[in-house]
Amino acid sequence: MDNTCQVYEDEIQSLEEEIKLLTEQYKDIQQESTFYSEKEILMAIKSFQGEFQGESKGYGSPSDLKAQLESLEADLSFLMKFTGIQFTRHSKKTVERTRNRTVQKHRLSGTCYSLSFQLEFQLLEMQDEEKVSSVITDLCIVMESGEDLNVSEFVSRTEEHGDLLTFFRSLSSYAEWYEHRRRTFLHFK
Amino acid sequence: GVFTHLERLEAQAHEAGRKQEEKEQQEEKLARLKERVEELRTQRDKLQAKVDLQQKGQTGRKGIIESGTTEPSAGAVLEWKIRRLQGMLQAFYLTGISAKLTKRGVCFSISTAYEGTYLDSYYLDLLIRPEVQIHHHSVPIFIPLEQITKRYLKTDIRRCLSVLSDHLNAYARRKYQADQLQEHFSDQLEGTLQRNSLCNLLVFNYKVPGEGKTFPFNARLIYRDLCCSLPTEAVVSCTEKAPESLQETAAAHSELFRHLALHKAFCSFSRAEERED
Repeated sequence: MDNTCQVYEDEIQSLEEEIKLLTEQYKDIQQESTFYSEKEILMAIKSFQGEFQGESKGYGSPSDLKAQLESLEADLSFLMKFTGIQFTRHSKKTVERTRNRTVQKHRLSGTCYSLSFQLEFQLLEMQDEEKVSSVITDLCIVMESGEDLNVSEFVSRTEEHGDLLTFFRSLSSYAEWYEHRRRTFLHFK
Repeated sequence: GVFTHLERLEAQAHEAGRKQEEKEQQEEKLARLKERVEELRTQRDKLQAKVDLQQKGQTGRKGIIESGTTEPSAGAVLEWKIRRLQGMLQAFYLTGISAKLTKRGVCFSISTAYEGTYLDSYYLDLLIRPEVQIHHHSVPIFIPLEQITKRYLKTDIRRCLSVLSDHLNAYARRKYQADQLQEHFSDQLEGTLQRNSLCNLLVFNYKVPGEGKTFPFNARLIYRDLCCSLPTEAVVSCTEKAPESLQETAAAHSELFRHLALHKAFCSFSRAEERED
């Protein structure tokens, strides 16, 4: 009798985990395969405010969502101005999702001051108790400043080691210097 | 006689009743669990079918429409946008500098990484009025924060963060190398590695694989450039009156440690050993 109980309880636990994983998988695909234009976003904000107060189909209250949206947009706007890095395109695809491991394929394009870049990489996130660790693999960088040998050498080095952080830190310094030089030359024209 | 007999019968009836109740409770519990299992199985199967459909149907502009509704709700659209923006902020985290605006200023987050492996991140919470100043931070005490901010904070915040990022990343990478050595090559180390908090002074006794039980080499690595994760000085000496071959090896290692990350250097020792076999 007791044994059957245990068998059922084990199955219940494993089913609950499976359901949790499938729900997240469903949300991932839903997120990654849809796209709404800015116009549609604005319309959603307006119509959301029109609906009667309170919870709407399980989402937060209209004012909460709107506030969260504005706060995130303000942060991003500040960061882009401050760092000079503008992301023009960002897409990701969840390739693997298990209980404590997620692998996503990222595509990221943008500019740093006047230099443009296109990246592709895989991001592995592992949950170990309360710590989440992130590892970049399969980094692929495309940059247009082919004329500068230093740049192409540096790009292939950081690519080889999956060193995304160093790529951006160095790109930032180089782009700032490059911009400064460009402006200086223009000034003397 | 009769009385004890009656007592016994009463006890037996009581016991039988108790056992019956227990049995019924168990059966009830089992039935409930069975019902729950079937409930969850159905839920799981429905979800699985939804996910399978998603993966087949794919990339309509609006994705897969939920059955029962024709248009996604406004709430769903906003949640989508929020998740997207959060994804972009995560991308900034990967670049090494991220930020969050606060009521009285801005809180910067500096991330560190060794090649593709992200390590700890540190925050610098700034107030901007009446002038730029530090409100809170999580920078370790052995990083010269005051020196850096005194020089750059009020005139060039970007430069300040850049220099701070260089220091923090170099420290994180030195620490990472020492940790990796401790973790993956402990059999080649005598005891534990000696290091200071800044991880810019490392001292250890070691051997190369396949050399018996003594640790003939002593290494002393000094990293004078705090923004660098390779040592400026690497002194490798032999601990006893050692043969010339060992002295030569020590000199070669000294050169190696100055150009190659510590754990990678030790990796190359293992590879060399394998080649000799």
